[in-house]
Amino acid sequence: MKKILAVMAVVFLAMPLCGWAQEEKVPPKEFVVYVDKNSRANHYIPSGWMGDYGDIKMNDQFMENPQDGITSIEFKYSGKKSQGQGWAGVYWQNPANNWGSKKGGFDLTGMTKLTFWARGAKGGEVIQKFVVGGIKGTYPDTAEVEMGPVELTDTWKQYTINLAGRDLSYINGGFCWVTTADLNPEGCTFYIDNIKLESDPTLKPEAKKQESMPFYVYADRSTVGNHFIPSGWMGDYGDIKYDGASKEDPYLGDSCVKIIYNSKATQGARWAGIYWQNPANNWGNVDAGFDLSKATKLSFWARGEKGGERIEEFKVGGIMGEYSDSDSASIGPVILNKEWTQYTIDLKGKDLSYIIGGFCWATNIDNNPEGATFYLDEIKYE
Amino acid sequence: MKLSTNKRNTIEHQGTCHRDTGFKPVHWCTGALVFLFFLSFLLGASSQSASKVSVRKLKNGHFQLLVNRKPYIIKGVCYNPIPIGKNHESDWWSDPNKPWIVDGKLMKEMGINTIRIYQPGDNPEEVKKVIRDLYELYGIRTILGNWLGFWEYPCPFYGDKDFQERVKNEVTRMVELYKDEPGVLLWILGNENNYSCLGRVNPWSNDEIDKEPDPQKKNSIRARIYYSFVNDIAGKIHEIDPNHPVALGNGELLGLESANQYCPDIDLVACIIYRGRTFGNLFNSLKATFDRPVVIAEFGADVYDAYLKKEDQNMQAFFLESQWRQIYSNIANAPQGAGNCLGGTIFEWSDEWWKHDENNPDSWKVHDTESNWSNGSYYFDIKAEGNKNMNEEWFGIVALSEELEDGLNKRIPRKAYYVIREFWKNPTIKKPKVKGKK
Repeated sequence: MKKILAVMAVVFLAMPLCGWAQEEKVPPKEFVVYVDKNSRANHYIPSGWMGDYGDIKMNDQFMENPQDGITSIEFKYSGKKSQGQGWAGVYWQNPANNWGSKKGGFDLTGMTKLTFWARGAKGGEVIQKFVVGGIKGTYPDTAEVEMGPVELTDTWKQYTINLAGRDLSYINGGFCWVTTADLNPEGCTFYIDNIKLESDPTLKPEAKKQESMPFYVYADRSTVGNHFIPSGWMGDYGDIKYDGASKEDPYLGDSCVKIIYNSKATQGARWAGIYWQNPANNWGNVDAGFDLSKATKLSFWARGEKGGERIEEFKVGGIMGEYSDSDSASIGPVILNKEWTQYTIDLKGKDLSYIIGGFCWATNIDNNPEGATFYLDEIKYE
Repeated sequence: MKLSTNKRNTIEHQGTCHRDTGFKPVHWCTGALVFLFFLSFLLGASSQSASKVSVRKLKNGHFQLLVNRKPYIIKGVCYNPIPIGKNHESDWWSDPNKPWIVDGKLMKEMGINTIRIYQPGDNPEEVKKVIRDLYELYGIRTILGNWLGFWEYPCPFYGDKDFQERVKNEVTRMVELYKDEPGVLLWILGNENNYSCLGRVNPWSNDEIDKEPDPQKKNSIRARIYYSFVNDIAGKIHEIDPNHPVALGNGELLGLESANQYCPDIDLVACIIYRGRTFGNLFNSLKATFDRPVVIAEFGADVYDAYLKKEDQNMQAFFLESQWRQIYSNIANAPQGAGNCLGGTIFEWSDEWWKHDENNPDSWKVHDTESNWSNGSYYFDIKAEGNKNMNEEWFGIVALSEELEDGLNKRIPRKAYYVIREFWKNPTIKKPKVKGKK
């Protein structure tokens, strides 16, 4: 009898466990980030305003022409650089305003993609990137996946971020958009709706595809083809002024990059430079970048304001971190001409399968004691 | 060669025996003496003959280092056993407590077969003693190098013929002195001297360079002058020592396109590489620029976490194991590798407490934790203040204690010592399961 009781007890005790275990094996088919204002299905809050947060206006109950349901979210980005950052974005967080300082988020294991709908007010608005995860802090997200840049259309379009194979066991930053003043110098208005994670077991992890050539680092201001962000300011970064939309005699198109280096040694380094990175501020700490294996050279055009400005190095790759660039190549020192001149970095024989530092320049006070103003245009892999 | 040492001891013992038993028949004694004389001569001579070290290119294009015709993978450390409280001028070669005996035993137990000496001490007999002790007691071979005047004040005058001649004579003398030591493995010329051609460290010039306005061409002229000079020395070494290869000590791969043009007499390149977990595309890239074998002559990781401000032996062991896996992935006949790597010498055997503030003798007694430089490849502690995460005094795979043991700072092997020891016992080259891309 004791034996029977013991068996019954084991069965009884095991039942809820079995049920739980079974429940664990079948994850829900979808998990909503945001569908409608005040919907009980919403799991995240668009609370994480970043960069030039003063440039953002949000209407989370915009009722005109929602993609589905009753409302969509309207964002108006002015591009005025209210906080002097040149970029802005919003994270959907759980709980609100959680930048990784407290435990929140969700275990999204089993989800393989995030889908959302977006449209621009006019069409042509450029969002630098859409992101899932990526919040750091004491309780960091277990993944960071992004897509972009994306040029919006004036009608609703669905976009997908492939999450297959990613560790989604803790995601506090459910969704995010980021854009820049360079990409939208006049600002932009756009709408987002119906953001959700979905389980699609047929979806395979996304292999990094070899990008086709030419592949632009910089073509023109607000061009969706600009694949790297001039975010890696180095050395005496206070000595640099960057204008990615200069109209001063661009080599091609309607704009070029203008850089003023004032050689004041603001940070005491006596040199300065900028890396164009993917994503912004990636010093090898984010697994991103591009496979540029098809490239055999990087070419760019440059000119000095007076002629004679000396740039110590122009470089491709070379960022070293947890996720290092697969190779590097450079030329320099280069003394610039007053006229536009094309320069080339030979990439034959280089391993360009993983490039996060798309382009870089660096110079110093010793060779430019009076500073230097110079221009760059048409920076591209070929 | 250890066998010959034992036999020599045996002979000495027999000789003593002969003197003690002077009543033995003369003819036996005489015969034995003659035999022993010749044996002693033969063995004595063999103990002084150099090993034959060479580089072989295999049919598949891979490279192998051969020592006495047998393949040899360099499993080495950079060796500079400066005691706590002393600086780089400390003459450890003459230390009566013989640190190399204690270290050599630990090295042998770990599996180390080579040490790298940047430049030998001033007393040739002391240097020979160290090389012989390490080789005869532990089978450890020695790579000898020369700075090529790189740290001379005010700068190395590579464009000056007198300077060149003086350095060349210095190197020639080193080779003549030690070429017949059986424990010598190869010669390394310079360390990171190529950076001076780019004007980054110890810049130098001459009239020809001064006249050239284009800075890129200036660098090209410096590279031509420097690498031609190194090649000249290499040629001279080959004339006087046919038994040991000559390596070009080079920081990263910078300048090797020029070296390929001006250094036909260089047998291999000894690269100084600090790229964290991976050597990246180094081995394949080298094939495209300087298709000769490579020994990674300096690599490693410091053990101090500058962010968390504490020693982290796991961090150091993680980097070193990953680096050794890459080295083994690229030795001859390894599947899928470049096949051009001959091995490596870890930087370094033991910590050096003088490095952070080399002009302040008080600081030589302190294990400084202030970081000297930044390197994002060592990403565990890159969030340290100012991103300065590299701690120059903490690169040893063996820590030094202030406690003395037989007159020496007690040696305390760190985790990396044991991890690499186990790796060498069974050097699998599959990638470890780590978070990361490469």
